Amino acid sequence: MRTKQSNFWARLNFWSFFWPLLAMLYFFLPMYGTLDFSLRMKKGVISLLAYQTVLADPKFLESFRYSAIMGVITVVISVLLFVPTVYWVYLRLPQARPVMEIISILPFIIPVIVYVFGLIRTFSGPPFQLTLTPFKTDILITAGYIILSMPFMFRAIDVGMRAIDVRSLTEAGQSLGANWVQILFNIIFPNLRIAILSGALICFATVIGELILGDFLVRPALGPYMVLVGRDRAYEPAALAIISYALTWACLGLIQFFSRGGNTQQQLTGR
Amino acid sequence: MSYLELSHVRKSFAGATAVEDFNLSIAQGEFISFLGPSGCGKTTTLRMVAGFELPTAGQITLNGKDLTFLPPNKRNVGMVFQSYALFPNMTVAENIGYGLKVAGKSKTEIKPRVDEMLGLIHLEKFGTRYPGQLSGGQQQRVALARALAIRPHVLLLDEPLSALDAKIRVELRHEIRRIQQQLGITTIYVTHDQEEALSLSDRIVVMSQGKMEQVGTPAQIYNFPETEFVAQFVGQINLLPVEVVNPAQGVVKLGQQLIQAGQFGHLNGNPVRLAVRPEELNPGFKEGANNLNGKVDTITYLGAIVRIRIAIEGHPVSLDIFNERKLKIPTIGDPYQVTFPVDACWLL
Repeated sequence: MRTKQSNFWARLNFWSFFWPLLAMLYFFLPMYGTLDFSLRMKKGVISLLAYQTVLADPKFLESFRYSAIMGVITVVISVLLFVPTVYWVYLRLPQARPVMEIISILPFIIPVIVYVFGLIRTFSGPPFQLTLTPFKTDILITAGYIILSMPFMFRAIDVGMRAIDVRSLTEAGQSLGANWVQILFNIIFPNLRIAILSGALICFATVIGELILGDFLVRPALGPYMVLVGRDRAYEPAALAIISYALTWACLGLIQFFSRGGNTQQQLTGR
Repeated sequence: MSYLELSHVRKSFAGATAVEDFNLSIAQGEFISFLGPSGCGKTTTLRMVAGFELPTAGQITLNGKDLTFLPPNKRNVGMVFQSYALFPNMTVAENIGYGLKVAGKSKTEIKPRVDEMLGLIHLEKFGTRYPGQLSGGQQQRVALARALAIRPHVLLLDEPLSALDAKIRVELRHEIRRIQQQLGITTIYVTHDQEEALSLSDRIVVMSQGKMEQVGTPAQIYNFPETEFVAQFVGQINLLPVEVVNPAQGVVKLGQQLIQAGQFGHLNGNPVRLAVRPEELNPGFKEGANNLNGKVDTITYLGAIVRIRIAIEGHPVSLDIFNERKLKIPTIGDPYQVTFPVDACWLL
């Protein structure tokens, strides 16, 4: 053990420190600049005034509440849509997996702006007119969020499915008399808990920070609010950026936290 | 009286036949093994009984009821998988009680049955553990208890011991047989391990390339194999290309040495193969028996047994002798004489 440790330190040189340090500076320096700037709203004093102003703004609370609700709805629908779909592909259509992989990365390939214009053109006229009322537009924007967060949700569920022996678990359930609904809710969903949670948190973070869909469909989402504030104020956008960062990091922290608990219940296939 | 019946069952996958004209009647309480190499169709046949695969043709009946197209969750057939397939999110007790839970049984009915099953597999203190906290052998016992908890009509075991180490495998083998006999449950056991099949089964179905090669008791399969495949697959065997000298009396010739076969049917000329198990051969000469001369080719020390391979007329012949301290092991190249009774060999 000691030899291994001494070998590790012996291998380290100037460049071993230089590159990680440079990467950290590249990432944290702008963040530090933003944080520092957000704390200087009161001249010559370090204060949380910008944060107080932002949090006291009813429009912020409204937009945050709207995006959070949309995020939760997106997560619930995504889980109910993708878990059974991926499960079915694993079980019955394994040959369709490459097709699903390609479909799942389409949101990365097609620019969101193109996608939004496509949505508006398709759903602003009959037979599916979904832009006339706020409720209908919310349906449209939720569908849009589901598509945008699909790569994250699909990947998370896919990784989760790979970690369990889907076929054997399903067949074991069937041989014990369980139907498809019981198998899904008693066996598959609980064993994908961590994967679903990871996907859900990334999905939620994506919706919270999304700008283009909310802006073009004229809904009171957090993304457009942040841009609006940034147009005519200086310190509040910086505070908002830090709050947004904090939300994302909180989501990542939660993923890490919940991922740790799953080891004792992992299936040992014995293969 | 037939309990489970498979009649003319066939299964094809994209044009390739996995199981061909499978016919079998299984009596209630019988332990039957499907034995064969990988890809012979044994697991596919088992999966058709379980309902995970639908037969392309044929019929499966259980106690007179047609099961052929019944969904797996309506068959009341217990299944134990090679990979255990325990539900990782449930405790051992929850796993065992799951079949009863989905059947709508009350907690007061489930609890005593789970306790009974835990007692049956000697894991009374493990009910609150998760599968990941158990060893492979313990997990497979839980899988067995889970399959039995629902009181299935038939118990299906798909290579349940293949993932375990040798010692646990032997222990669990006895455990499975004990439980099966205690409960008197009709059981189908799939394996590629001949020792498992021979030691556990009431009857064995030997399969090859989707076809049934032979059905019989372990003794029938081992002592009276009907085909060359069965003779070679089950146990060790010497198969020697011989020339028929006297078809009426079953006299054949290996090179220049004459052999009297104990069992022979209608000999349709040459080539014919003489089959004799290595343990039937003895060193030395015996009056009235078959005696062959050769030279020691290789010697393999197997612990309890020493396997000597002799080249007789250019053909390798294996001979198994029990090891003992005073045993004199010959040297490679030594002339060696072997003898075997007339009824120990047969012609294929």
